[in-house]
Amino acid sequence: MVSAPTLHVVTTELAVGSFAMAGIGFLLAGLGSHGWFGMKRHLQLADHVAHFALAFGLLALPFAIMTGIQSSPGEGLDHPLLINKMLLGSSAFGLAFGVLLARRTHGKDIWASPGGRRWQALGGMSAVGMVLLTASLGGTFTRGESLLSWLPVSFDSVPLMPLWLSAGLIVAALANMGLMRRQDAA
Amino acid sequence: MNRFSLVLIVLTLLLAPSLGSANPNGVGSGTFDAQCGGACHGDADMNRSTTATVVVNAPSVAYEGLLTSVSVTVSDIETTATGLLGFFLLSDLSGAGDTPADAGWTIVSNSEGGTENYVEAVIASGQTQHTVHWTLRAPSVGTATLHAAIHHGSEDGSEAPFFGATMTPATIEVVEVPEDLPRLAADFEPPVRRTVGESTTVVLSTEHVSDVSVEWRVSGGEMNTVSVASVADGSWSFTLPASLQPVQLEWRAHLEGDGPDQTTPWFQLQSEEPSWSVDETAAYVQSIAMLLVLMVAFLSLQRQSTTPVKEFEAFDHEEVA
Repeated sequence: MVSAPTLHVVTTELAVGSFAMAGIGFLLAGLGSHGWFGMKRHLQLADHVAHFALAFGLLALPFAIMTGIQSSPGEGLDHPLLINKMLLGSSAFGLAFGVLLARRTHGKDIWASPGGRRWQALGGMSAVGMVLLTASLGGTFTRGESLLSWLPVSFDSVPLMPLWLSAGLIVAALANMGLMRRQDAA
Repeated sequence: MNRFSLVLIVLTLLLAPSLGSANPNGVGSGTFDAQCGGACHGDADMNRSTTATVVVNAPSVAYEGLLTSVSVTVSDIETTATGLLGFFLLSDLSGAGDTPADAGWTIVSNSEGGTENYVEAVIASGQTQHTVHWTLRAPSVGTATLHAAIHHGSEDGSEAPFFGATMTPATIEVVEVPEDLPRLAADFEPPVRRTVGESTTVVLSTEHVSDVSVEWRVSGGEMNTVSVASVADGSWSFTLPASLQPVQLEWRAHLEGDGPDQTTPWFQLQSEEPSWSVDETAAYVQSIAMLLVLMVAFLSLQRQSTTPVKEFEAFDHEEVA
């Protein structure tokens, strides 16, 4: 029987490896779409690699989260790092999913407009950065150190919103999504 | 970028991490085979031998299914950078399937407030000896052995891994329980943790016991007694006082009955500061909210930003070809 911590290592490496590749893909795609460093000829390759790696990372992420919860000592969310890890992870998931949906909606033309290419590259790299920071928090939690410990960011306090505000944001987001779909259909 | 520069960058990145096989911040308490099956200190072959002495102390006789106390004492402790010292209680030293549970023992508690066979203690600088206690339920009748081992790092910051084990194991003869032996019930499990400031009421289940007395002490402190009330036939209740700070309290019971009087092993009760808590519902809802908001915000942003420039070819197919 394989224990949850061992599975967590496997799934985390799968997710983090995919996201790291996606991050490099978005960086190269961003450079290529702007025609910098002679990277324009690699744009198509970088675009495909970035989005496929991001999609694969998103598929692996739930398994990493589930095995992480199972292998976590204690019961429930009993540490600020765990809450921050969850909030950061879900934010990264949302941003990454948004990046993928935008690419699907606009197709390769997303690299054609100045704003589109800028935000797609930045959005992809930000999502990847957030996932890597989330993974790094796991190291901080279990071993007290991580690769990103040098960052001047403390995760010892939790920026928790009131329940009504979170619910309001969910409603606003869903309404916004509905309006976008309606306008697209019209 | 030429190939030489690329190779130079890759080599620099490969050589940048420090080479260390120890786990400087430990791995936390857990149920591990000897040397964590090689998972704690990188490769077990890279371990160096510790100069510390490891001794396991256990009674020579234990009753099948009843509780017994085992302690592991490490002396001549080497000072390490973090002070962490890992203690293993093992049934052998093979490195696989060698936890006490693999030999039929059940760990009821350890003096660090857990129920694992591996615990980590922080040793103060200059401290040369430390003892960890385990309370175990004995396996089936026969001769059982218990080994102990330790893991630690070094003081010089080299993160070199060290390992040590008992020279000779403790041999315990597990015998059948006499019919009328006063004893704790098989299903009794002592509490191992509590919160600072809260007293603890323990309900003791016994068999063949007519009278019970309980004594307690703070580790290393003087002995105190506590009054025990009979709740029902074979059930006794007593209350251990609250502690004002995180300390370890030990207690044991003297059992009297028709058979020979028995004294239980010392049970350890660790008091801790109240654990950090948060409104989990609010956290989960905020998590969903952040997921949706970021996704929708990015889609909206790209919707506004993506106005195709006709002259721009997204992919330069000619150059790709």
